[in-house]
Amino acid sequence: MRMWAQSHLWQKPQRLNSVLAVAFALTILILGASTSANALPAFARKYGLRCSACHESWPALNNFGLKFRDNGYQLMNDRDAPIWQNPGYWPVTFRITPIWHRVSRLNQVDTYDSTTGAITGSTAQRINSTGFDLSGLDFHTGGTLEKNISFYVLPSSDSTGAFHFESVNARIDNIGGSPWLNIRLGRFELNNLLSEKRTLWLTANGGIYQTYHFSPVGDGNIAGQMGANQFGMEYMGHSVDDRTRISAALLSSNSGNVGLIMGANSYSGFFTFDQAFDAGKLGTERVGAYAFVGEAATYYLTDSSGGAGAVPIPGSGIGNKGFSRVGFYGQFYLGPHFDLNVVTQHGSDNAWFGQGYGDAIATDGDGGATATCSSPVNGPGCPPNNTPGTTLPVGSQAPTWNGYTFEARYVYSPQLIFKAVYEAERMSQQATPGTPSNLGNINNYSIGYRYNPYMTSRSGFAYFGEFNLFHQDLTGPINSAGNPTNVNTSELLFGIDFDF
Amino acid sequence: MRTKQTLLALLTLLVCSSLMFAGTVSGKVTFTGTPAHMKPIDMSKEPSCAKQHATPINVETVVTGANNALDNVVVYVSSGASDDGKVPTQAITYTQKGCQYIPHVLAMHVDQEFQIINADQTSHNIHPLPKVNIEWNKSQPPGTAPIKEKYDKPEFIEVKCNIHPWMHGWFVVLKTSHFDVSKDGGDFKLPDLPPGKYTITAWHESYGTQTADVTITGNETKEQNFTFKAKAY
Amino acid sequence: MNSLKPMRFISAGLFTAIPCTAILGLFLAIGSTPRAFAQEAPDVGPKPPVVVKPRESHIGNITGHSADGKSDYRRYCAGCHGDYGDSNGENAIWLDPKPRDFTIATFKCRSTLTGTLPTDEDLFNTIGRGLTNSNMPVWNTFTKQQKADLVAYIKIFSPRWEHEKAGTPITIPAEPAVTIDSISHGKALFTKLECWKCHGTHGEGDGPSASTLTDSKDNPIRPYNFALGKNDSRFKCGSTNQDIYKIFMTGVDGTPMPSFADVIQPNDAWDLVHFLRTLQVNRHSKENEVLSAAHGVIPPYVDKTPAPAAAPADSKSPGGGQ
Repeated sequence: MRMWAQSHLWQKPQRLNSVLAVAFALTILILGASTSANALPAFARKYGLRCSACHESWPALNNFGLKFRDNGYQLMNDRDAPIWQNPGYWPVTFRITPIWHRVSRLNQVDTYDSTTGAITGSTAQRINSTGFDLSGLDFHTGGTLEKNISFYVLPSSDSTGAFHFESVNARIDNIGGSPWLNIRLGRFELNNLLSEKRTLWLTANGGIYQTYHFSPVGDGNIAGQMGANQFGMEYMGHSVDDRTRISAALLSSNSGNVGLIMGANSYSGFFTFDQAFDAGKLGTERVGAYAFVGEAATYYLTDSSGGAGAVPIPGSGIGNKGFSRVGFYGQFYLGPHFDLNVVTQHGSDNAWFGQGYGDAIATDGDGGATATCSSPVNGPGCPPNNTPGTTLPVGSQAPTWNGYTFEARYVYSPQLIFKAVYEAERMSQQATPGTPSNLGNINNYSIGYRYNPYMTSRSGFAYFGEFNLFHQDLTGPINSAGNPTNVNTSELLFGIDFDF
Repeated sequence: MRTKQTLLALLTLLVCSSLMFAGTVSGKVTFTGTPAHMKPIDMSKEPSCAKQHATPINVETVVTGANNALDNVVVYVSSGASDDGKVPTQAITYTQKGCQYIPHVLAMHVDQEFQIINADQTSHNIHPLPKVNIEWNKSQPPGTAPIKEKYDKPEFIEVKCNIHPWMHGWFVVLKTSHFDVSKDGGDFKLPDLPPGKYTITAWHESYGTQTADVTITGNETKEQNFTFKAKAY
Repeated sequence: MNSLKPMRFISAGLFTAIPCTAILGLFLAIGSTPRAFAQEAPDVGPKPPVVVKPRESHIGNITGHSADGKSDYRRYCAGCHGDYGDSNGENAIWLDPKPRDFTIATFKCRSTLTGTLPTDEDLFNTIGRGLTNSNMPVWNTFTKQQKADLVAYIKIFSPRWEHEKAGTPITIPAEPAVTIDSISHGKALFTKLECWKCHGTHGEGDGPSASTLTDSKDNPIRPYNFALGKNDSRFKCGSTNQDIYKIFMTGVDGTPMPSFADVIQPNDAWDLVHFLRTLQVNRHSKENEVLSAAHGVIPPYVDKTPAPAAAPADSKSPGGGQ
């Protein structure tokens, strides 16, 4: 009996595998066969609208969804206050994206002597990896606390399960009954029309907009990241039909890091203005301009009393230097199926940033300090610190660049969207003369699709596939001849995106 | 000459026969079983109507009479008549009196005009609820002119007053002009039926529909009774 | 060892049963049609036939085409109004008031008489204005062309648009001045026409008949409460004085609110409008200003229409004829 049970136990996994495989395949078939599109997580559940009413293709917003958000997540039908909801209603959406992907990239790889086993040198070698993976998990919770008062909290985990608060903010809208007076306080995404947090893309290099994150090679400025959620206070105003929008945000230049670990008094401002037009049969066209200007610290006071060298003190950053990112943006509908999003940028960082100053407090960029550098000040392995007596190398210049993002979407139906992105970043002035003029230039290409086979009134589900090709000049591994290579990374990605 | 005379005589005979030979279908509508108890209507919210009834009237879904008579049954020729489409010219009225519709069931021909009269001291709104014909809703304060309306499609239409929710009645719009509504002991009468085969339908708002086939050969009065099975609710 | 035998059986069984049940459950859950998830509305019957004949709409100099409105309807409207326009969208059962049923072609907000079809412009305006205190959003982010195409599209759901022409918009005379006399006459009309039976003497929707009101589909419905809201208080069909005029002169079809077109003279109707504005006690309006200038008291109405001139007396007699 025991033997039988044991052998029975051995056979189980194999049979189970085949059952699972068949079940999975059949599930995909059944799901693919359904056609009707109904749909909603949190906001849609409250109002009875399909996901597609606010989202061109979830999560990217259309004009109606943009107005809903600009109104403070309100439909303005006198039924926005929570008292109109069923008491059991819970405004939470979970978003999970399991994927399969293949990443191809160049790495600095040791070369070995095949007989002695000793490392003989180093070269740039292409590594291709494939496998199933998880790109992240988001909990979205938001909505009205009372009429015209709303909140948004987004605990987000990366693929390792490490959580941080990507968004935590509260809004007061329609102050004095006017749509021109709205205030938001906390950590939030900047008012980018082409939203990175609502991007349709999920590859590592395609899932962010390079234009929102571009930094010259060796640049130490941690502020100026348009794609990173920032801490601050934002004023926002819009016309009743949301055709005219204006915003001005006062931000701390800490790139979303908590605990006042960066500059002692470093602030920046993010300003936008856009106007939409009714273009008849073409649709609605929107054009606007933005400016992200401010300053960030380059000199952190140090403390050597711990015996571990001159450790930069968090929150002590002074020696503020300026930066700017300015440009235009637009969203152009060309008929009922096709739209084009454009963002341009002229970026400029102070010469000190160009030489690497500004990053003395090492951070993970999205949650807090990971380590403070304990080597001697300006020693090897430490980011440079603009301590007294430091001078810039002769001939240092302010690095400047121009960036362009074009995202085209073909919305075949509310269920199926095809999309393509091209981004170009071009240095116009390098920080150090003599550097190759194209050092750090980027070309980024992505194509993909998202397909929602069905949506019940409680959840959303999408299949997606993407291919991304990322190219950057001269920032790749050093080849065997001792020259830097270009980065050419490609990623092919398929997965499902489900949100409840 | 003689041919002409014969022809004329034959023609007269034919014409007159259709006029002379006109039968009648008449009968009684009764029920079997025990009808549900009709509750008395509480009109205390409208004192001007309440005082018009010494004892409160009952809900009129089922109106019965002596010897199991069933009133308010619309009896009509549903097929066989050759003069469907001829709109009767007689005036018919629907009166709101004592917060009640009189008659409870008004039968009419398609496109036949009818008048709605408010004989009460209170306002009523007249709100028929058709599914096929067009829905309208009009206020009729006391002392205002009768409302003249007509319907262009056959249908059984519920009528209500929103101000007085107990008021309930029917407009029955028919293709034929041969119809009657049973009353005074469940009696109905369908006169002026030329010889032919007819299907007679009887409709009650709660007990449903029944049909019977009747053949008229001359001047006779054919008796056709209908018996509905009462519902307990 | 013996004691381990049952454990292995159980664990072997569980090892099979739990994943297999889960897979089977997933199968059954996902394999059923999406509508099976949502609770079926009790009255869902056979789907009404959809007339596929293309329709047009004309608003100003814009022509809308139903074929161009289909995709927007699916995206924005069908969740509530249903894929067949019969108000059986998947979310309709949780909404109150229910979404409009386009198959019957009865509409609340019109400029045409009760029982007649609205004009294209009426529907165009309703889409762009939304309906307050309901789930119909303010779709003012659409282009004019999109709204025109949607108006054309919803016409395909009812055969009435085939044979019937839209009603003629009622003529609204110019609004006379707001005076305390006008308000006083309006109040007299409000009493005489028995509006208070449903709306209540203070217009708060608490009249004696208010609690029993049902709409034409037998869903409970409340009469409008004028005292709600402040300066943003809107009616279902707009927010201007002209909109109030149209509401009671065309009736709100599909609801208990009847048309008073046959029983009010146009100028009298304006007096009623002025009075109704004073029922919106929290709203700044000309009417409320006039009322507070009169110390908040509405005088009783005195009929000041001149008496018909007496027949002329003998011309010889002095002072005659008046």
